[in-house]
Amino acid sequence: MSKEPARTAPRPSPRPNAYMHTQPFWDAAEQGHLVIQYCCATGRFQHFPRPVSLYTGRRALEWREVSGRGTLYSWTLTLSPWPGHEGRVPYICALVDLDEGVRLLANLYHCEPKTLRIGMPVQLVWERLDDRFNYPAFEPVVEP
Amino acid sequence: MRDVAIVAYGETKIVLRSGRSAYDLAGEVMDQILGRTGIDKTEIDGVCVTEALSQTENSFWPQYVCEMLGLSPTWLEVVALGGASPIGGVARAVAAIRTGLCRTALVIAADAQPSGRPPEQGAQRFEFLYPTGLHGPVGAFGLIMQRYQHLYGLKDAALAKLAVTQRNHGLLNPNACDKLRVPLTEQDYLQSKRVSTPLRLLDSVLVCEGANGVLLTSDDNARRLGFEMKVFLTSYAEQTHYNLTEPLAEITESGFLSAGPRAFRQAGLTPKDIASFHPYDDFFMAVLLQFEHLGFCERGRGCDFILETDLSYRGKLPLNTGGGQISAGQPRLAGGGVNLVEAVRQLFGEGGERQVADRRNALVTGIGGIPYARNWATSAVLILEQ
Repeated sequence: MSKEPARTAPRPSPRPNAYMHTQPFWDAAEQGHLVIQYCCATGRFQHFPRPVSLYTGRRALEWREVSGRGTLYSWTLTLSPWPGHEGRVPYICALVDLDEGVRLLANLYHCEPKTLRIGMPVQLVWERLDDRFNYPAFEPVVEP
Repeated sequence: MRDVAIVAYGETKIVLRSGRSAYDLAGEVMDQILGRTGIDKTEIDGVCVTEALSQTENSFWPQYVCEMLGLSPTWLEVVALGGASPIGGVARAVAAIRTGLCRTALVIAADAQPSGRPPEQGAQRFEFLYPTGLHGPVGAFGLIMQRYQHLYGLKDAALAKLAVTQRNHGLLNPNACDKLRVPLTEQDYLQSKRVSTPLRLLDSVLVCEGANGVLLTSDDNARRLGFEMKVFLTSYAEQTHYNLTEPLAEITESGFLSAGPRAFRQAGLTPKDIASFHPYDDFFMAVLLQFEHLGFCERGRGCDFILETDLSYRGKLPLNTGGGQISAGQPRLAGGGVNLVEAVRQLFGEGGERQVADRRNALVTGIGGIPYARNWATSAVLILEQ
């Protein structure tokens, strides 16, 4: 008799456009491009998307593609999952500082916790969440 | 200023599951305060209610509380600063009394199980947080601890000492949650399982239910009513979203770096003058950072300071003498009042078996809210003096 898997909620999928018009982010993600909100007045990026610039309070914002390269700022190995993530344990959540000067929370893949060091270079990888979403994640840059 | 005082406090026992509503728990607190002071409830013309997780669906929560408790205030306020709400509420009540909006204010916090849908804190979280699986505040503090470990090194012995010190205090607190009133050793702490590395299960609070509150009035009115027990509210400072316009802000830095100096300046005190310390303790990491950010020690020296200082109720700097939330239980969003009420109890000389010797003053803090990829949202500092 096979063991029945524990019944859990599915992994949460993003809900675009619920608090802001974020469709450009997800459309670009679908094409494999990471776009981040950019303040036209100060030339600085901000993430998550907001109705106004963090820096000026004004609405002169646009979406700009970023390199997807950055460094590991901090990380945590999750052993007690958030609801919907039970099947993924253990998994790494990380803060990544992009070269463009903005920080993202994302999963980190293709690495072992013991090899991680804060400040190490990381790069963007896309995770296919379901048939609707590419979700940004990162992996260590392998030294040649 | 010594023009407004806390003249009474009340607190229910903290329990895992009460089977009661936040209203019923609040009523128990008001009954205690009326019983202790002997005043008629019509003297209460100001009410400040902490937002409750069990009532996030109820936009009219503060009015319902007053209707339930039979109060007709001329000043009514709800404070939604998470764990900073009760001391934030005290500060707002002081302002209301000073400006004549009311004369005697009940600042009350109560929370229980939600009767309806679970609380909703959505907005950007649905797109940029929940799909990653970061485990709420536990995950956020895992990230903060890892960063601190990288910058300064984290000493397990210091965190274990905090766990044992607060547990020993909680054992002496009859209002502490019974599940937590069992002795704890440093080994127990060190062996507790990791939930979001390097954070352990015993680094964090147990979510409970309960209520607490304090009664404030002007010093003149306290004399009229014949109150002899008085604790003056000499200083308060608050900071929400410290460094928000710095997208690469250091996550081991908090708003206490801004609120702490303002609070000390207003009171004319320094950290060395503090007789007992009652920091908000959702995680021991928050306590460690507050020692540093409030200036009890230098940045990066928190672990050594903990190891070098007697933090017991008989020690040099008594810490969370009721056990704090970590060893008394966190009554959900009423948790910010647990250490406030304990500080008032100590200054009244009613600490019982855990009474501190030096009752000149106490420093109480509040922390609330977990923003995206940062430190916590609100940091608040309250100084109480005889």
